[in-house]
Amino acid sequence: MAEKMELKSTEVWDGNYAAAQALRQAQVDVVAAYPITPSTPIVETYGSFVANGYIDGEFVMVESEHAAMSGCVGAAAAGGRVATATSSQGFMLMIEVLYQASGMRLPIVLNVVNRAIASPLNVRGDHGDMYAGRDSGWVQLDAFNAQEAYDLNLCAFKIGEDINVRLPVMVHQDGFVTSHTAQNVHPLSDDEAYAFIGDYKPVDEMLDFSKPVTYGAQTEEDWHYEHKAKQHRALMDSYVVIDRVFEAFEKKTGRKYKRLETYMMEDAEVAILALGTTVETSILAAKQLREEEGIKAGVVAPRVIRPFPLNELRAALAGIKCVAALDRSCPMGAMGALYNETCGALATIPAEQRPLVTNFIYGLGGRDFAVDEAKRIFREQKGHADVGHITTHVQQFSGLRGPKLGFYESKRS
Amino acid sequence: MIEIRWHSRAGQGAVTGAKGLGDVVSTTGKQVQAFALYGSAKRGAAMRAYNRIDDEPIINHEKFMLPDYVLVIDPALAFTDNITENDKGTTQYIITTHLSKDELIAQIPELQDKKERVHVVDCIQISLDEIGRAIPNAPMLGALVKVSGMFELDYFLDSMKRVLAKFPQKIIDGNMRAITRAYNEVQ
Amino acid sequence: MRGVLATDKRGVRELGAEDLVGWDEVTQGVVLNSFDIEVENPAFLRPEERPYSDFNSYTATVASWRVIKPVYNRDICIDCQNCWVWCPDSSIISRDKQMLGIDYDHCKGCGVCVEVCPTNPKSLLMFAEAEEPEEALGKWPEKKKKAK
Repeated sequence: MAEKMELKSTEVWDGNYAAAQALRQAQVDVVAAYPITPSTPIVETYGSFVANGYIDGEFVMVESEHAAMSGCVGAAAAGGRVATATSSQGFMLMIEVLYQASGMRLPIVLNVVNRAIASPLNVRGDHGDMYAGRDSGWVQLDAFNAQEAYDLNLCAFKIGEDINVRLPVMVHQDGFVTSHTAQNVHPLSDDEAYAFIGDYKPVDEMLDFSKPVTYGAQTEEDWHYEHKAKQHRALMDSYVVIDRVFEAFEKKTGRKYKRLETYMMEDAEVAILALGTTVETSILAAKQLREEEGIKAGVVAPRVIRPFPLNELRAALAGIKCVAALDRSCPMGAMGALYNETCGALATIPAEQRPLVTNFIYGLGGRDFAVDEAKRIFREQKGHADVGHITTHVQQFSGLRGPKLGFYESKRS
Repeated sequence: MIEIRWHSRAGQGAVTGAKGLGDVVSTTGKQVQAFALYGSAKRGAAMRAYNRIDDEPIINHEKFMLPDYVLVIDPALAFTDNITENDKGTTQYIITTHLSKDELIAQIPELQDKKERVHVVDCIQISLDEIGRAIPNAPMLGALVKVSGMFELDYFLDSMKRVLAKFPQKIIDGNMRAITRAYNEVQ
Repeated sequence: MRGVLATDKRGVRELGAEDLVGWDEVTQGVVLNSFDIEVENPAFLRPEERPYSDFNSYTATVASWRVIKPVYNRDICIDCQNCWVWCPDSSIISRDKQMLGIDYDHCKGCGVCVEVCPTNPKSLLMFAEAEEPEEALGKWPEKKKKAK
């Protein structure tokens, strides 16, 4: 039996440690990992918990992230509760196996501590890795601070392992800004946390010798499409379980999560749509602008990136005047992904309810996103709203040195 | 909101200091944030750590800061790093140095109009004497407790004992002496 | 040989002859069950005794893929098990280290067994698919003399 750990009602943890504590409380059976900055402390701490008797589990050292996720797939198919963590280049190397995990419907939990992708080499936070896994078939949750990194990890096991979901789940957090920033975190006790998640119930586990199964079958044109469609349907439908888990979590802790988080949107005229820590910084900017300048600013943030909360997003944005979609990943030759998905959602509502939508690329490689910059973006959106059309380029770069960089102008007739 | 910026070299314990401070402050019911700007920097490279302390949950994640306190735990950084960056007019400086306050200010032009806001304490010597290693983070916290009046010394010492609980008693005792000395010696 | 082939138990279907069901009926995670029912200690059952499901290759045949086939000559075989070890399709039938013959439902006629057979002459030789085994055995070559 694993030893219990006494936790205070308020701990000061960074996002990595918070995630590692959640893995301990979930009593994860196997972590196969290849450490990479800034996610390293998650698996390192899990390893020390195992070594010190706080988890009855196995830490498997492997030779690459591809092998790490492969090890996770094997352990999950065998019938264990499995988790790991990675970032950036490691995530990129893992991608091939991410699709295997979701295709085999193995509820692995992956902590992605978001970091920029080389070249040039950079260890700091942006969402390049997150965006690269968009189509990988995983449920994807986004934490905006250390508390949420802890909370969402607990929820991730409960969502992924639900018999109606059975999909792997990513928990994203911003590299350094969340992962290495210590903040007040209110953990559950070990017993409460484990009771919330529940025992792992294996499905089609390979170690059940009375019912041998094949994993990783080949399917050509006669089967492949149907299997992918079924998987897509499972991910699309997982929102029901996600809502239920968030509700149960709120009952337990009082902390409320929604698939689409909205702040001050009831009467908002302009909004910022963002992910990660930027959401909270933007909320602060919106509050200040409301007090100081009377600008009705609001913030919209997908808590659940996949399945994408399309219904909730168009409901939140219908009728407002202008929204800026902030992408912390360079789309390289296109508009940002968050911008595109927002416009896609808005294209399905009546034209007169549609806001103007602009796109900002920002914060690449850990470039600071300051409250003042968020306020400037809000003011600019207010300017568009007042004249009724986009007065700048549709896509701009925020916080970039050098001549102003922007692309596309709005077509007014 | 109280904001603190640490100037340190990687390995001197600024991150640990900032997190330790956050830990103690959280026990008073306040909200804290402790982070650092470093990455692949090696031991000895200049780096900065930060604290935010507030009554409300801290949702500001920008790295930009107008600090209320600047803590310099490496003597050379007072000269080579831009320690007065984003001075807000009331910023208090606590600098580790073997020099007297007047000698130090005479050598750093940026500090000359901030004399009454500069405090000195020799954290390096104190940590060498009391802990046996040049880890100036704990004495700097003692000096901060004195200058800020944030806590009673005894409360702070008790809380730090808990934060350091995983270390051998010898180390804990050394840290307690270092904190107390810096509290008494900061000028 | 009789009683050890899938054909003897339930007949075999051509590979790819599965019912093409829609997306709502395919298995979760492309997981394929070897058996339709739970079986205690299947490792202790011989293949022909196991209740293989339609998704197990044991119930599907690739016999038609073959144009030449291995024929087995019991009189020469020394039961060394080389062919059993090397066959890529588990199509050598052996019991208690004694060679019984070829599983023609799953043999693709690759000839590896012939290649690895150490006897002189070989105990396995490739013949045209249409050749009757009795006729083939009648055409078996003599022992080769070592060149001096």
